[in-house]
Amino acid sequence: MNDTVTFQLKNNLSELEKLNQVVDKFGEKNHLDPNDAYALHLSLDEVLTNIISYGYDDLNEHLITICILLRDKELVAEVEDDGNPFNPLNVPKPDLKQPIEERPVGGLGIHLVRSMMDTLEYKRSNGKNILTMKKKIKYL
Amino acid sequence: MKISEENWGSFVILDIDGQLNAITCNELEKRLNTLIDQGEKQFLLNFTGLDYISSAGLRVLLVAAKKLKTGNGKIVLASLKGQVRKVFDAAGFSALFHMFDTCEEAMQNFRS
Repeated sequence: MNDTVTFQLKNNLSELEKLNQVVDKFGEKNHLDPNDAYALHLSLDEVLTNIISYGYDDLNEHLITICILLRDKELVAEVEDDGNPFNPLNVPKPDLKQPIEERPVGGLGIHLVRSMMDTLEYKRSNGKNILTMKKKIKYL
Repeated sequence: MKISEENWGSFVILDIDGQLNAITCNELEKRLNTLIDQGEKQFLLNFTGLDYISSAGLRVLLVAAKKLKTGNGKIVLASLKGQVRKVFDAAGFSALFHMFDTCEEAMQNFRS
């Protein structure tokens, strides 16, 4: 089964609720198992939280375009924003063995995305960051 | 997200229901800070009703655990759902927090 949903969110954290609703609906409609639905939700949440929190130097409203699709047993989530250039693939892997006292606060979001999805691709094009995340779905 | 609070011996038990994300985590952070400032040192967070956690939620737990560690306090967690547990595992947080399968098990463990 193939399905595509495209939507836009404003650069405001309150929009995460809308993301939750769209992803929930997409998961239900396409019978994603709870693990894959969670992975999709978490990955988009982390990426959008980063963009909204750190992507813009001005206080203007910006629109972030999100596309979720299922194609050939693969789940694809693409995020396009006009914020500061940011390649999440350059974020170093955190040291997960450090004790509480030494654990840095933050820096886990992109690591979680990488652990939840199979592949991440990034490109900067026409002043936009385009991040594509993919995950194989075996049962569909 | 909904937080319910209950005192149990030297512990404060917080039931966290719903989703812990970049918006809702502020409420938990405030609640924990208030309680820590009031001198509370031991926390049992019951995640029976927690459906979702992101790195923003993990951050709040880490910050509170760091604060408590300096005063010999602690946070223990109970009843993590499968997907929430996976996030803890992926972040290496399962080694940082003492976790129990159920809230009852945690309470039995600390009943002296």
